[in-house]
Amino acid sequence: MERRAAGAVEPIAPESAHFVSAASLRVRSDWFNRMRWIAAVGVVLVSLLAVEFGGVDLPLLPIMSTAAVLLAMNASYTLRNRRVPATDIRAELVVVKLQMVLDLLLLTVLLSFSGGIENPFHFVYIIHVLLAGLLFKGGEIRRMALLAGLLFTAEVLGEAAGLVPHHHLASGPEMSQDWRFVSSGLAAFWIVLVCCAYLSASIMRHNRVIKDDLVVRQRQLMAADKAKIDFFRYVSHEVKTPVITAQSAVEAVLAVAGADMAAKPRDLLLRTVERLRQATEIVQGLSDLTRGPLHQGQDVRDVNLNRLVASLLDGQQSLIETRGLRVEARLPAEDVLLRASETMVEKVLGNLISNAVRYNRDGGRLIVAMQDLGDAVRVAVTDEGIGIRPEDLGRIFDEFYRTPEAKAASSLGTGLGLPIVKRFLEQMGGEIAVESEPGRGSTFTATLRRT
Amino acid sequence: MKRTILVIDDDIDLVEIIRLTLENEGYGVIDAQNGARGLELARERKPDLILLDVMMGEIDEGFQVAYELRKGDNTRDIPIIMLTAVADQTGYAFDPEKDSDFLPVDEYLEKPVSPRRLVDLVRKHLPPTI
Repeated sequence: MERRAAGAVEPIAPESAHFVSAASLRVRSDWFNRMRWIAAVGVVLVSLLAVEFGGVDLPLLPIMSTAAVLLAMNASYTLRNRRVPATDIRAELVVVKLQMVLDLLLLTVLLSFSGGIENPFHFVYIIHVLLAGLLFKGGEIRRMALLAGLLFTAEVLGEAAGLVPHHHLASGPEMSQDWRFVSSGLAAFWIVLVCCAYLSASIMRHNRVIKDDLVVRQRQLMAADKAKIDFFRYVSHEVKTPVITAQSAVEAVLAVAGADMAAKPRDLLLRTVERLRQATEIVQGLSDLTRGPLHQGQDVRDVNLNRLVASLLDGQQSLIETRGLRVEARLPAEDVLLRASETMVEKVLGNLISNAVRYNRDGGRLIVAMQDLGDAVRVAVTDEGIGIRPEDLGRIFDEFYRTPEAKAASSLGTGLGLPIVKRFLEQMGGEIAVESEPGRGSTFTATLRRT
Repeated sequence: MKRTILVIDDDIDLVEIIRLTLENEGYGVIDAQNGARGLELARERKPDLILLDVMMGEIDEGFQVAYELRKGDNTRDIPIIMLTAVADQTGYAFDPEKDSDFLPVDEYLEKPVSPRRLVDLVRKHLPPTI
């Protein structure tokens, strides 16, 4: 659990952009541990099978002892990963490197008991070089490859020179002291070793460049988004009071003196109020849009979505009647409850429903379909109105963007409704999807997650 | 005798807007530009109703004033209408019915102030003349 939590913040962890992070290294280390269990058990099984059914004359006691050492070491690695949190990348790297060196030593010991160069399993060295490529950078990969190569070469030459006892595997001719076999075997081994080291290093380098680039871009995008939101917040904060006061003033003048005014000036003031209402709506929209996730915890409660949808439809009733819309609310029979910020959920569903009313055709259907999926609730709002052209689908969630069709259909609308829907859903861990056919209508589907 | 309404708001223009509207309806209006002065006036003049801006110098100054008014023997029973544009500033969505247990005000009035709604609310608590 702890590891997964740490891994979740990985993409923008500082200082680690150019290399693996402590948490991601730990994930791999856990994977190595699982592989090591398999390797140790494999050694035991393969040796037993070779002796029992293959007629191979292996010294079982030293091999089993080595496997036992490997199992014991792996148990201690596993225990460490459980006990010690992965925080320091350098400490984690040292531990993993040490484990790899010990693995190479044990592999060499095992090979020395099982035929040395005659044993085809000596290519397991190569696997370690590939693994080093996953974890380390250029110089470290080369050093690990060099160590693997030298250990194997020393073992093979030691057997060839008679310094290390040789355990002959097959019934065929003795090869371990034939210099042609030994030298060509070692040459092939080194060629594969060096190529693998080089290839894995360059693939991983390439990989890291791409990853770094992605991290940098992601940060730039987040910074740009934050700058935009800060700007919106600043503007709405500064503009709000004058706009609100101006609207209140004109409305007060109209209320007190409107009846005595000449028609023309009175008409102008009425238009002014209408313009100011639009401005207030934009300011209100910007305020909503820039409301930080900080505030979303403040009115969290169990929201009854059935009741909310009903009351939102109710709020649009006069427009629905004027336009002759046919409303279908396909809600689950049992009330759906969702623990969330009531204001945010209300804004999300309210904006979708009022769009479906505003951009519908006269007499069109308006369908609100709700599904309780257990870990989430899905609300789909469908209209039979103007629809959205495919090329506009990507832009309707941009602030202030209104499609030409939307502008033609209604002079009202701030171009902030859908951006608010998207941002609120993202802040609540949900998402919005849209399907649309120009001239036929649209379906907006909001998924609200239960956390 | 005219009924007196105390408006506590630091936006002098808004105070004048409210004064225009309410005087036109036959009410008397006195005003204060900050919470401290508002409390003083409330105690001295014992207005019949108070219009209180939620957000003056500090974000919740209006609420502090409301609590003080509710504590004072002379001011406890004066109806309070809270002027608020706060919903979009802090994410608080006030609902007097749900929140009345811990919010000591009688009504909320959202800015921009609609004259009709202002007059309706004031009349509800206070008929213009005795």
